[in-house]
Amino acid sequence: MQSSVSTAGAAAPVPRLAMHFASLEVQNHAARLGMWLFLATEILLFAGLFVCYGVYRFLFPDAWAASSRSLDLTLGTVNTVVLITSSLTAALAVHYAKEGKNKAVAVQIALTLLMACGFLVIKYFEYSHKFHIGTLPGRYYFYEGIQLPGAPLYFTVYFFSTALHGLHVLIGMAVLTFSMVRALKKADFGPNNYTMVELGSMYWHLVDLVWIFLFPMLYLV
Amino acid sequence: MTPSSSIAAPGATPAHEEHHDHHPSYLVDGTTIRSWLLTVDHKRIGLMFLFWVLLFFLVGGIFALLIRVELLTPGPTIMDAMTYNRTFTLHGLVMIFLFMIPAIPAVFGNFMLPLMLGAKDVAFPRLNLLSLYIYLFGAVLALWGMLNGGLDTGWTFYTPYSAHTTTTVAPVLFGAFIIGFSSIVTGINFIVTCHTMRAPGITWFKMPLFVWALYATSCIQVLATPVIGLLLVLVAVENISGIGMFDPARGGDPMLFQHLFWFYSHPAVYIMVLPAFGVMSEVVAAFSRKNIFGYRAVAYSSLGIAFVGFFAWGHHMFVSGQSTFAAGMFGALTMLVGVFTAIKVFNWVGTVYKGAVDFKTPFAYFCGFLFFTVFGGMTGIALGTVSLDVAWHDTYFVVAHFHFIMVGATIMAFLAALHYWFPKMFGRMYHEGWGLVSAALIILGFNATFIPQFLLGNNGMPRRYYEYPERFQALNVASTAGASLLAFGFIIIAMYLTYALVYGRAAGKNPWRSKGYEWLTESPPPTHNFVGPQPTYPEEPHFYVDPKKAEVPDAV
Amino acid sequence: MAIANESRQEDRNMREEHHGAGRYWVIWAALLVLTAITYVTGRMHMPTFGLLLALIIATTKGTLVALYFMHLADHRGANRLVFAVSILFVILMLIAPLADVGTRYRGSNPPGSQYSDLQAVDIGANAQQGRYGGQNKPDTSEQSEGH
Repeated sequence: MQSSVSTAGAAAPVPRLAMHFASLEVQNHAARLGMWLFLATEILLFAGLFVCYGVYRFLFPDAWAASSRSLDLTLGTVNTVVLITSSLTAALAVHYAKEGKNKAVAVQIALTLLMACGFLVIKYFEYSHKFHIGTLPGRYYFYEGIQLPGAPLYFTVYFFSTALHGLHVLIGMAVLTFSMVRALKKADFGPNNYTMVELGSMYWHLVDLVWIFLFPMLYLV
Repeated sequence: MTPSSSIAAPGATPAHEEHHDHHPSYLVDGTTIRSWLLTVDHKRIGLMFLFWVLLFFLVGGIFALLIRVELLTPGPTIMDAMTYNRTFTLHGLVMIFLFMIPAIPAVFGNFMLPLMLGAKDVAFPRLNLLSLYIYLFGAVLALWGMLNGGLDTGWTFYTPYSAHTTTTVAPVLFGAFIIGFSSIVTGINFIVTCHTMRAPGITWFKMPLFVWALYATSCIQVLATPVIGLLLVLVAVENISGIGMFDPARGGDPMLFQHLFWFYSHPAVYIMVLPAFGVMSEVVAAFSRKNIFGYRAVAYSSLGIAFVGFFAWGHHMFVSGQSTFAAGMFGALTMLVGVFTAIKVFNWVGTVYKGAVDFKTPFAYFCGFLFFTVFGGMTGIALGTVSLDVAWHDTYFVVAHFHFIMVGATIMAFLAALHYWFPKMFGRMYHEGWGLVSAALIILGFNATFIPQFLLGNNGMPRRYYEYPERFQALNVASTAGASLLAFGFIIIAMYLTYALVYGRAAGKNPWRSKGYEWLTESPPPTHNFVGPQPTYPEEPHFYVDPKKAEVPDAV
Repeated sequence: MAIANESRQEDRNMREEHHGAGRYWVIWAALLVLTAITYVTGRMHMPTFGLLLALIIATTKGTLVALYFMHLADHRGANRLVFAVSILFVILMLIAPLADVGTRYRGSNPPGSQYSDLQAVDIGANAQQGRYGGQNKPDTSEQSEGH
């Protein structure tokens, strides 16, 4: 989304105005609105999975409850806290970018990335546990603890939604890394030039937002 | 090249023809291959889209003809059953994902939207270029899959068959997934452009109606396309590894697949047809030389169709095992689409009424369009009635219906747009006589192809079948004959338009004397659309007659 | 001029909005408290209100994130509209298939589900893996008592 915004190499703390925009305000407005529209598509993307979740939970309430209890609630909660905190640091990065404190921006983004890695590591442990005991999607399911129709379907939904979310975590990390490198190398974020950090952090908040819904849906049936 | 001064002082900016030093048109401003392939100019991107879209139209058309030839006789004619399955799948996929969805928005939308808003480009020019390459990449992937093994599920990929068939489902589905991104990017681009790039004087309710239609289309693209993206990935993964999301043997619900599929694919019909409505609103005003009748009603009905169209999807599932309650609900919502479409149709007819009609080629296509929209739309209402649909479902009646409303209306609008804006895009005129002849051929050919199919369906011939009983042969032969006529019409168009590209006489700035905003600049336009300062737009769009000064009091 | 107004308004909102960093910390604390509440109430497994409560808490958290972290509280016009419309469509998209499944002829719901009278069919040796979980077949009488 940021491709047409502030990609210029100008050293001044004002982003380059692309020739087709009337003014900087319009350019920023366009970038922000474009980002919101993009986030809307992301919301609808996950909505498809939410519908699958809703329908199958409605059809198989017992399997859903039993399968949900086989997840590790503590790890899930820790991950929620990690992701919420990383959202805080992402928001602070925007805050400092507006004030032109480029060092602080880089630090906050670095913290965000660190927590993102933490999230993925925890997720890895959860996944490997499931591969071990056999709570896997569809025909790969071999867990003997839950013997209900619909239980493998729960894990199809579980794996698909967490994997899609994990993919978004990776994309968000890549986007934020760009802003961090820029804050370190060019150090030109300031009150007039913070759109790049802002859009990156908006993406990160969306990743958080999706997890806020996935957490009770998957772990707390 | 300089950023235009300021738009803060409306009306203060002088008229736009101040310095007359000649600026080259976008066609010749940079002639290297590189200057085309890496351009960010919305007009050049639109032209490149035009090239590819026409190419895929040719491909899809060839498959259509193959299907029609195969159906000439009741038994096998030129191909075996499996090839036939692949052929109609290929026809559907290419026509829908590669031709009709990008046809009007990506080609004429890209070209005209900034011109109609008095902007120098769309909001995100580089994303715009990216959408072209995403489209091509997806197309290559999908076509590769279809040629190496060939999908045989039909374009709807219904599970559980698509999860079990051994043909190449996954590459085709991933290809369609990628093409979806192109559609999303175009949609985002257009919405942001409408919000932020309007020139001074163009308020929301002074946007040309084509822009309103594109805006509504873009809303659908942004909201619906991600769902099919997710679904295609789900089915592809299920086909590869059997995760069982829609597998009834593992508790999955194939109906859920259909819900999610039609959540996109029904609104996708409006992605195809709403821009067609927009084109026609432009054409009808320009060639009746009258202000559009009921501007706001037409604008709002575009948004209305976009919204209501989202909640009519269940009418594809009346006989799939959907609940009676849901079927009734979706049936009733389907009727609402008819209401909004009728508003448009009445307004177009009201515009022509007592207008000074200039019966040029685009207007000929408007007449065909009106026929197909009303006829196709009315059969759609009939199909939306649950009790009737039970008999007609999955027969040729459905095939004929959607070819009328979705294909007929879109093709008419595509050709009308191509002829109406040909002088704008290339600065040359085509031969009017040939234009009218081919329009007549195409409209007649289209009717000759699909009216027999209505009858076939009503007699009970199911769609997608390879063989049929003897008694259906006469109508099938009639349909194939119509298809040949249709193909002949397209060949004529290809010939005279290609001729006009090279030898056509210069069109001048505004050959139709149209009042559309896009005609205010040169034809073909210079690279950044306008020379000099930002133009302003004091008049309404489609302003041919001042209602207060009209000579005939009831003319408007 | 409409254009200038819309973008100008947006710009003004975004400038006026610059608060201290404290606000983010407050929101963060609120989110953590809400997470704790979900955790505690979720473990109680309340049969009727559990889902409703979890959804209400999640929505509250989501609203906080959208309004303050994503600055939707300071935006006006289109940005809010886009977000609101996407949420509306998510809800409508959820309602329709659920309404269908809930009112459907029982025979067309997936076998073995709560709203079907049919047993989940046996689909053969290896393929049955993943339907009931292990290789051991479930007791059919126990199945029919399930609902």
